[in-house]
Amino acid sequence: MNGASPQIRNIAQRLIEYEAQGKAVSETTGSATFEVTDRLRPLLATLMGRGGFRALLARALAMASAEVSWLREVRVGADGTLEGLATLHASLKPAEFREGRVVLLAHLLGLLVAFIGPALTMRLMSEIWPQLAADRVDLADGDKK
Amino acid sequence: MKKPTKTVKHSPPKPSPPKTALTTKRAVDPAKVRIRQLSTGVPGLDDILGGGVPEFSLNVVAGAPGCGKTTLVHQIAFANATPEKPALYFTVLGEPVLKMMRYQQQFSFFDESKIGNIVRFINLSDVALEKDLAAVLEEIIAQVTAANAGIVVLDSFRTLARKAISDVGDVEVQSFLHRLAQFLTSWQATTFLIGEYVEDEIRDNALFTMVDGIIWLSQITERNSVVRKLQIMKLRGQATVPGLHTVRITEHGLQAFSRTLGLMGDKPKPATRQRLSIGIPELDKMLGGGILEGDSVLVAGPSGTGKSALATQFIAEGLRQGERGIMAIFEERPEGYAQRADSFGLDLKSAEKTGALELLYMRPLDLSVDETMQAILDAIKRVGAKRLVIDSLVGFEMALAPGFRTDFRESLYRMIGGLTGAGITILSTVEVEDNFTSLQFSHYAISFLTDDIVRLRYVEIDGQLRKTMVVIKMRGGNHSKDIREYVITAKGVVVIHPRRTDYAELSTGIPHRTGPRKAQENEAAPEPKADK
Repeated sequence: MNGASPQIRNIAQRLIEYEAQGKAVSETTGSATFEVTDRLRPLLATLMGRGGFRALLARALAMASAEVSWLREVRVGADGTLEGLATLHASLKPAEFREGRVVLLAHLLGLLVAFIGPALTMRLMSEIWPQLAADRVDLADGDKK
Repeated sequence: MKKPTKTVKHSPPKPSPPKTALTTKRAVDPAKVRIRQLSTGVPGLDDILGGGVPEFSLNVVAGAPGCGKTTLVHQIAFANATPEKPALYFTVLGEPVLKMMRYQQQFSFFDESKIGNIVRFINLSDVALEKDLAAVLEEIIAQVTAANAGIVVLDSFRTLARKAISDVGDVEVQSFLHRLAQFLTSWQATTFLIGEYVEDEIRDNALFTMVDGIIWLSQITERNSVVRKLQIMKLRGQATVPGLHTVRITEHGLQAFSRTLGLMGDKPKPATRQRLSIGIPELDKMLGGGILEGDSVLVAGPSGTGKSALATQFIAEGLRQGERGIMAIFEERPEGYAQRADSFGLDLKSAEKTGALELLYMRPLDLSVDETMQAILDAIKRVGAKRLVIDSLVGFEMALAPGFRTDFRESLYRMIGGLTGAGITILSTVEVEDNFTSLQFSHYAISFLTDDIVRLRYVEIDGQLRKTMVVIKMRGGNHSKDIREYVITAKGVVVIHPRRTDYAELSTGIPHRTGPRKAQENEAAPEPKADK
């Protein structure tokens, strides 16, 4: 599987919602940081090294930028964080900003699925978000819930 | 220290050893430590290792790229890791983990449900590139301590060592290795260091002196065939099977084929052995009542003399007697084989259906002798066979990769010795050319492998090319010395004549008449092909 399928986008959206839960951020605008990639970073950096994670995120960003133009302003920092989100968050409409994050995360997950398959991607994500397994989310076939 | 045990009443007095401090201490020595062995999860490898990998050992898995080092260690990790004692797979400047996972998950042993908690991958490349060996060691210690790891893998140790040698020198690397070994052993971890080494490096590299075990993987190319080999170069504390063993990588990972085929410990032949009918009454008589159970019989003869028919009769007779069988056939497809048996009134298909018989058809040209024999051994165990046919040895040899043909006789010797030792009766066929001057047994000179030899040959008699058989050798007893004529009929091979006394030099194929010519009807002349 290459790129982000509707199922993966759906899961990306859900992960962003999971992270937003219980946090004091506006439901309509969301956070100016990207908590999901920030949480994925240590796990994937342990596996791939910081350089490996940076390369993967940069590739996801490049693919997502083709769909969401404002993402072209975002950069991947040396430590694997996304730079420029705060500035863009202030200038973009909330829905636009949310959509961009979903597309970026979907591409990142899509790359993982393409490399290591849905089962292993799901296994890794479940370490951070155990509720994914409980919700019977399937990266191969989409959401069976 | 325990007091010496008192002598039990009425037991005969034992000769007492000379009383020295040493012998007194030995009398109460505690039991030796028992080294637990970890199963590798690689079929065949535990036997080669002498039971498995010694627990808490430090091992090197070495070889050129593409030999299967990473796959081998993955198999070991997946087979042994538990939630309480997980496997930590440290990658250093080697294959990216995403790619490793991508490819390794194709193997059936790769259980993705274990990833993350039971089998954990940790990338040390950043530490190795940005810091020094001390930092790498610190990170390994921190991770192993936190996880309580039972299996630790460092892939690739060679790359790490090479970088460190260029940065800080050889002594620092040895110091790192010493401290790493000390920590991992104390922490009760079984460790595997993976490295792309070449054999010449063993002499000068202290690593190979320090480690407990060295598993060496290689690929040998001969003409168009490539054969993977495995050698246990070193393993402290236990006896391994020496030599090069064949390895194959399939969708299930590595499979190793021991040079001894796991047959070394089989039980010896029973003292009293029964005679088995070959399915041809007159030939049974020539064999002194039949083949001795557990014998290896060679049926040698030129093309068309009925070797396969005779072999089929041997198996069919066994089936009639309730003895299961295996026919390893190399030259003919099983369907054709079964059909020909049908024409002799021998129903192999029904026996196949009930599981009493298995026809193994093996023709791939890159087979190793060990894996071919392993396939036969597996089939024998699966079926519970008492009779085995190998039809033919020439076809068997041709099915092997060229590199294995030189090992053919040696391997065949091991297999036949092992199987007959376990009471399996083997009938092998071999094609030999009739040269009409002498009686050749086999151009393979494999008669030393066999207990009994039956020679089939063409003989020119009365203007016809007829067939004769003779029992050349029977190791377990006396046998008929008669040369007997036979035919192949709808019942298979049938011996028709008693020994002929009216001809001499039958064994040359061109006998001369010594007795009076008997009146006989001429065979009808062949139909002219072009006559309309």
